[in-house]
Amino acid sequence: MLEIRDLYKSYGKTVALDGVDLDVAKGETVVIMGPSGCGKSTLIRCVNRLTEPDRGSIVLAGQDVLALSGRELQRFRRQVGFVFQHFNLIARLTALDNVMFHLVLGGMDREEAREKALDALDKVGLKGAAARRPSELSGGQQQRVGIARALVTNPEIMLWDEPTASLDPILVGEVLEVMEELVQNTGTTMVIVTHEVSFALRAADRIVFMDQGRVVEQGPPQQVFSEPRSQIGRLYRKLLLN
Amino acid sequence: MLDFFRDGFYKDLALLLAITVLFGAVFSQGIAWAIDAYFGDTLDQMIGGYGEYDLILHIRAEAKEAAWRELQRIGEQSFPGYKLNETLTIAGQANVFFGLPPEYRTKEVLESITSYFGAVPGLNGYTLMVQPSVLIRGVHPGVREELREQIEALPGVRFAVKDGNNLVVLAQGEDQLPQVQEAIEGILDQYQILELRFPMGFAVDTQEVGDRALEVLRAQEKLTGNRYLNVTSAQYGEDLDAFLKTLVEMRDFLGSYASKVRIAPAAGTALAVGERLVLDGAVQAGQELIVEVTGVFGDLAEGMIIQGSPVQSTDKVVHTGYRLSADGERGEYVGEVEIENERYRLAYAVEESLRLLAELEELAVQASAAVDNAEAVLTTFQEALMQLEVLQVQMRQLNEGIAQSEGKPSGEQFLLTLLLNGLFQTLAQSVLSSGEESLDSLENLDIEEMRRSLDGISTQIANVQEINVAAIMEQIGFVRDTLPDLSDAEIGQSIRLINTYLGGQVIPGERVQLLIQGQKLNEKELEKLFQKELDHPYLHTYSTSAGMVSPDARGEIFRILKEVRSIVAGLLAIIFTLIVLVLDHATIFSTLKQLRAGKKGAVRPWLRWADPLLLMGGILGSALLSSIYHLARGQIPFFTPAVIAVLGFALGVLVAVLCERFSPVDSMELMAAQALGLSHVQIMREVVIPPSRPGLLNLLNRFRQQF
Ligand SMILES: Nc1ncnc2c1ncn2[C@@H]1O[C@H](COP(=O)(O)OP(=O)(O)OP(=O)(O)O)[C@@H](O)[C@H]1O
Ligand SMILES: [Mg+2]
Repeated sequence: MLEIRDLYKSYGKTVALDGVDLDVAKGETVVIMGPSGCGKSTLIRCVNRLTEPDRGSIVLAGQDVLALSGRELQRFRRQVGFVFQHFNLIARLTALDNVMFHLVLGGMDREEAREKALDALDKVGLKGAAARRPSELSGGQQQRVGIARALVTNPEIMLWDEPTASLDPILVGEVLEVMEELVQNTGTTMVIVTHEVSFALRAADRIVFMDQGRVVEQGPPQQVFSEPRSQIGRLYRKLLLN
Repeated sequence: MLDFFRDGFYKDLALLLAITVLFGAVFSQGIAWAIDAYFGDTLDQMIGGYGEYDLILHIRAEAKEAAWRELQRIGEQSFPGYKLNETLTIAGQANVFFGLPPEYRTKEVLESITSYFGAVPGLNGYTLMVQPSVLIRGVHPGVREELREQIEALPGVRFAVKDGNNLVVLAQGEDQLPQVQEAIEGILDQYQILELRFPMGFAVDTQEVGDRALEVLRAQEKLTGNRYLNVTSAQYGEDLDAFLKTLVEMRDFLGSYASKVRIAPAAGTALAVGERLVLDGAVQAGQELIVEVTGVFGDLAEGMIIQGSPVQSTDKVVHTGYRLSADGERGEYVGEVEIENERYRLAYAVEESLRLLAELEELAVQASAAVDNAEAVLTTFQEALMQLEVLQVQMRQLNEGIAQSEGKPSGEQFLLTLLLNGLFQTLAQSVLSSGEESLDSLENLDIEEMRRSLDGISTQIANVQEINVAAIMEQIGFVRDTLPDLSDAEIGQSIRLINTYLGGQVIPGERVQLLIQGQKLNEKELEKLFQKELDHPYLHTYSTSAGMVSPDARGEIFRILKEVRSIVAGLLAIIFTLIVLVLDHATIFSTLKQLRAGKKGAVRPWLRWADPLLLMGGILGSALLSSIYHLARGQIPFFTPAVIAVLGFALGVLVAVLCERFSPVDSMELMAAQALGLSHVQIMREVVIPPSRPGLLNLLNRFRQQF
């Protein structure tokens, strides 16, 4: 489904990605973990070209992602759901509009888009808050709107960039719940960047540890947590045991 | 970066630019126009509409009411259909507009404003503002009439009116003004007033120096076609001319009134004009008699008393003269000095006349009495004559009677006859003293004729008596009393003073003005020439025009207003452009900056100065400002189109550099929008612009925005 090869990205002298290789199979849920600044976000943003890699290749569902431009790129992005750490909702739009506006702009009939949006909101348990604006929602609710927005297009792949990192611990649970449910029920390919070890243990098919712009270890959760080979792995194991 | 516009936003941008330029132009010009209109209206109120009034009368504020009534009276009497309006009162001076009906806007009326309005109470002066006209300021009096003649011959000119130092040229119509003005400028251009100025205290004979300067100019070969004229005194005008003439008259009068001093120099003595002599001889109490030599004619000299008074005599008085040295010492004998005083003679003659008149009156009374006496005598004489005749007849009868009587006359009779005859003879003799003549010759006397003569004499004497001798005497007495009571010394000093002032009828001054017609001269080049030729190293030359065409005050104000309008429009165009750049374009720049942040590669250092974004900002700013400025008809001094283009460019670059401060774009929303697969135009319309600052971009977007 997703093949990333030898991906490099640097910001001036800061090397964010230093030759990353990663394969994700269709329907697989991959959790990427690593210390702050190791390049997780950069990697995940490269996948839908929010960040342009310096070199390397990304192939998603047979498409050479880095060769896309203009309308092709836009069409491609609609097939990729992206959930942001800071939700990135459009502040002036209601929850419903936030979820449906890109459908309409993509050419869908307004009514149909509305139904789909309400459906997506329902999935994240926020049908009742459809008319509210982001400022009238809690952080957890906002992120659930963000999730609804990502999944409303029925994407082939969903990319999650630390969806719970900016939530207070009480609200983290409701988001993780939604995520777990999605992982279990949709069969959508997921690439999730998170520090939630227990969630990773429960939901991930595979865990990828990154450090300093490289993939340092990967494998099934039980394996990487029980017998970590990398220093990062060992740190997460410690975290899990605590 | 072009990708950004390619998927549709270019249309939005194009529309935005078009509307911005249009709106900017309308806005800038509109406000400028509004200012213009406002001030124009205010000005109209203040100074009247074009051609509505012909003069402003400046009147002392306290006399305003009385002046107003007088103006109404003048208007009704002399200018039926006149217009009167009051305007501002400034610094205690009220200003009143007076509009003449068109038929009175004539040269005659306009040149005699003072005679029409001179009696208006509190009038301090007036300003002509008759339209359509061209005002020529500072017209040199030496060329005024010449200019006026030429100007009045121009097509489109009605006439030219002198107004103080100005010439107001009335055009036939407003349309002709530019053409008339141009023609006048052409005429003025032929003239130049060259002024030679001497430092303070170096007063020169302007006539003489002027003439010499003209010669110097005429000697310049390359300038042979020019016409030159000394117009120094013309600057003082006709009043001075009259004053000078009066002075000359006065000098001559004083001269004839003063004592005549004739000097007969002793053999071998030479006298010079200006020398002083002290005189010996009869003098009135007081100072010594001093005479100044005013002229030497061969062996005779003339002088003038400058100190002391000679004795009052109607005859010549002879003195002996001695040279007087500069330090007041009496020097050698120079000759006899004869003083003859017309003034005393005049006074004497007047006195004599007065006496004569008094006697004449007396004489008339006496003569009248004498005539009366003569008539009485004549009457008596006539009566006596008649009685004599009667007696003669009786005598004859008596003689005859005696001769005819028959008897011899008695002795008594004879004796009586003898006695009577003798008596008659004696009587006739005593009366007529005519000896042996007969009484008949007496009868030949024409008594009546004599009486008529006496009557004539009597009438004439009556006439003499009727003359009001007393009044004549009073008048002559008055003349005597008003004769200037000047001493010779005073007269002499006055004459000398007048002479210095007249200096041969030109004003000694510190500047000489020459009129030059034809080729223009460079005054600085001439300065050196004059300094050398006139031998006056401190002389300076200046060149002025013979008159300057200046737009009338009203036109000037409106021209300034128009200029202000253009400046305001220009400034507004700049401000508008800046606002538009900040409100609208900064948003676009911010978005572009955000979008390229995730792009490949680091920004190379050299690119920072050739940043396409900044370039785009500059071009946009330049295009916007240039077109708005142009369409708004902005006109700021020194702001040429190039300057405006550069300024616009600079503003655009500045806004591009600081765009994120002016109009930050929410990078998270932007990223979400990108991730959701929105096109650039959709990102702009739905995500970036709606929350941006209110502006044209924001406003226009409302029509396209779907959410
Ligand atoms: N836009 C950018 N400009 C410059 N440097 C950047 C930029 N984005 C990321 N970096 C740098 O690249 C490196 C990788 O960043 P990245 O955000 O991918 O890390 P991360 O693993 O997602 O960290 P975190 O857990 O804090 O999100 C970091 O050192 C970061 O400082
Ligand atoms: Mg990150």
